[in-house]
Amino acid sequence: MRRQLAQVETTGTSREFESQVLAVDHTMGDAILLTVSAPTTVVQRLNSGQFFNVSCRFPGSFDPLLRRPYSVYRAHQQPSSLTFLVRPFGRGSAWLAGRTPGERLEILGPLGNSFVIPPRAQRLLMLAGGVGVAPLVMLSDVAVARGLDVVFVMGAADAAGLLPASELRGPVEYVVATDDGSRGHHGLATEIVGDYVHWADQIYACGPEPMYRTLRTVADTHRINKKPGVQISVERGMACGFGACLGCVVETRRGMIASCVDGPVFDFDEVVF
Amino acid sequence: MTAVTSHGTADLAVDLAPHNPRELLLRNPFMAASGCFGYGEEYAGVIDIQRLGAFVSKGITPERRAGNAMPRIVETPAGMLNAIGLQNPGIHGFVKKYPTLWDSWAVPAIVNISAEAVDDYAMMAAMLDEQPGIAAIEINVSCPNISRGGYCFGWDAEMSAEVTRAVRGVTTLPIIVKLSPGASDIVSVAIAVEAAGADAISLINTLVGMAIDVRRRRPLLANETGGVSGPAIKPIAVRMVYQVASAVRIPVVGMGGIMSLNDALEFFLAGASAVQIGTGIFVDPGLPIRLIDELSQWLDEEGFSSFNQIVGLANVGFRSGDPHLFRFREASGL
Ligand SMILES: Cc1cc2nc3c(=O)[nH]c(=O)nc-3n(C[C@H](O)[C@H](O)[C@H](O)COP(=O)(O)OP(=O)(O)OC[C@H]3O[C@@H](n4cnc5c(N)ncnc54)[C@H](O)[C@@H]3O)c2cc1C
Ligand SMILES: Cc1cc2nc3c(=O)[nH]c(=O)nc-3n(C[C@H](O)[C@H](O)[C@H](O)COP(=O)(O)O)c2cc1C
Ligand code: FES
Repeated sequence: MRRQLAQVETTGTSREFESQVLAVDHTMGDAILLTVSAPTTVVQRLNSGQFFNVSCRFPGSFDPLLRRPYSVYRAHQQPSSLTFLVRPFGRGSAWLAGRTPGERLEILGPLGNSFVIPPRAQRLLMLAGGVGVAPLVMLSDVAVARGLDVVFVMGAADAAGLLPASELRGPVEYVVATDDGSRGHHGLATEIVGDYVHWADQIYACGPEPMYRTLRTVADTHRINKKPGVQISVERGMACGFGACLGCVVETRRGMIASCVDGPVFDFDEVVF
Repeated sequence: MTAVTSHGTADLAVDLAPHNPRELLLRNPFMAASGCFGYGEEYAGVIDIQRLGAFVSKGITPERRAGNAMPRIVETPAGMLNAIGLQNPGIHGFVKKYPTLWDSWAVPAIVNISAEAVDDYAMMAAMLDEQPGIAAIEINVSCPNISRGGYCFGWDAEMSAEVTRAVRGVTTLPIIVKLSPGASDIVSVAIAVEAAGADAISLINTLVGMAIDVRRRRPLLANETGGVSGPAIKPIAVRMVYQVASAVRIPVVGMGGIMSLNDALEFFLAGASAVQIGTGIFVDPGLPIRLIDELSQWLDEEGFSSFNQIVGLANVGFRSGDPHLFRFREASGL
């Protein structure tokens, strides 16, 4: 309690914490696994699908100015910490991917809604495209811990871009696809996901926008009465993270919805692409 | 939320509408800027919003607006471009929810209004006049005037004054007119709105800007152009506050790129009686609350007993009502 009071006094908000980089591990392609310390209160109340807005610049610098959103790849109790999967892409992510253990980071969160596992769902199908795999790894951990069945489909440009199978915990069926055919199915992950749609009680997906467009066709041809439901995590550039600026909206049948508070997880059938 | 009280002893209070019987009393000079703080409730669980001097709502329009297509935000060097397109529930949707909510809050809530016709500004102001929980109206004149071929109200002194007069005619609420930095002569706009009945002036709104995606050979924003905010615009904002604060006698509220106490002090010394923080809140949500304590401590250390003592200290012509003094130097001594 004292610690938290002190935080409010120094940062002016209870939602931000100063974190220390604990480990950097190389994983898939040029992406890294960045493990950072986090208060126990943060780790305990966290749900899969939620994200954190990370400051991607040195203290005192204003460039790049805006925080970058990162989904949680895995949360740990001992020591209390979070792992993010960071692919160096533009300026902010490249800065973040270049951090080394011992360095400090300013992190805001947890933010956003989360994936929901419906009460009667036993068979969960996950579809990951590239670094979109991050929130699904945490979801898969949760599902396995609850004794649910998981089929995990992942697509990447090549074998190096795939999540190593050893990263998935427990009895998970892992199916892969690569654009160049260097491992698994030669082609898109959405081309093989159709085989599992009838089996699944619930589908979860996270990947780039083009993946969702092909998923639309798969979902339309393989589902009956929009069953099973599909939950997707949508990527938008963000400014505030609290629903105040409306810079991160997703167009849905209910209107323009702030993806930082009423997302990033959306019902696929509600989203207008 | 824990209420951490200021440590210093200096008096931070300011009245932004000293000539209006309804007053606009702020406990401290730190406000949250329009469009960057939603309707206050978005930040209620994030910072102790009741400690703020005041906050300004997202711009409200006569009708509900869905806003622009995405992308609406692009990061630029030490700043950002936004083209949100005034997504808001419209004045009718707004009054159903927020006045009663705000009435239960201690922090003064200011409504920012935007319209494309003078009558619409007046219609909204008249509706707001009857509502509880509203401390003041901030008129956003950075909007196209439909009856003048879409020319921005805020770029023209007479058009800005016309809006101000129309609003003044229907409400006794304190009125803050928020100037557009796109005006070719911002001082004459300031003088015109003061004469038209504004209680205070705020500035600056965003500067119109643009960024292009070289790969796609298209503008990055779906709206093509947007407003530039953040540290990149601060020197422009400080200069304009300095100019306007020497030309008018009503309080001036400064904003543009404030990220630290030093930034806020620049505005105060230039003549701002309060500041608003916008983009800085996105980057650092705790900033406005921290600044209250930091200012209080700084005033103590520097030997000031009241915040009002530092307003305009760096401005030779502060509230002289003589715009020429500064204009001459601006033109001749760059
Ligand atoms: C909820 C959420 C969770 C995320 N989780 C992860 C994660 O786990 N791992 C991960 O590696 N990344 C994740 N991201 C994406 C990560 O935040 C991006 O890498 C980042 O926003 C882009 O920043 P940058 O500094 O790399 O690129 P910038 O320097 O900002 O941009 C480089 C270029 O890419 C363009 N660009 C920027 N953002 C986007 C975008 N969203 N879509 C298309 N073009 C864009 C820019 O216009 C620019 O031209 C997530 C994003 C969201 C919204
Ligand atoms: C995302 C965003 C939305 C904004 N919306 C409004 C608005 O609705 N009405 C208005 O008067 N100003 C609006 N502004 C302008 C700000 O209130 C402020 O004048 C400007 O951003 C400069 O301050 P800053 O650099 O601290 O952000 C907006 C700014 C941003 C960044
Ligand atoms: S990032 Fe501001 S509303 Fe979502």
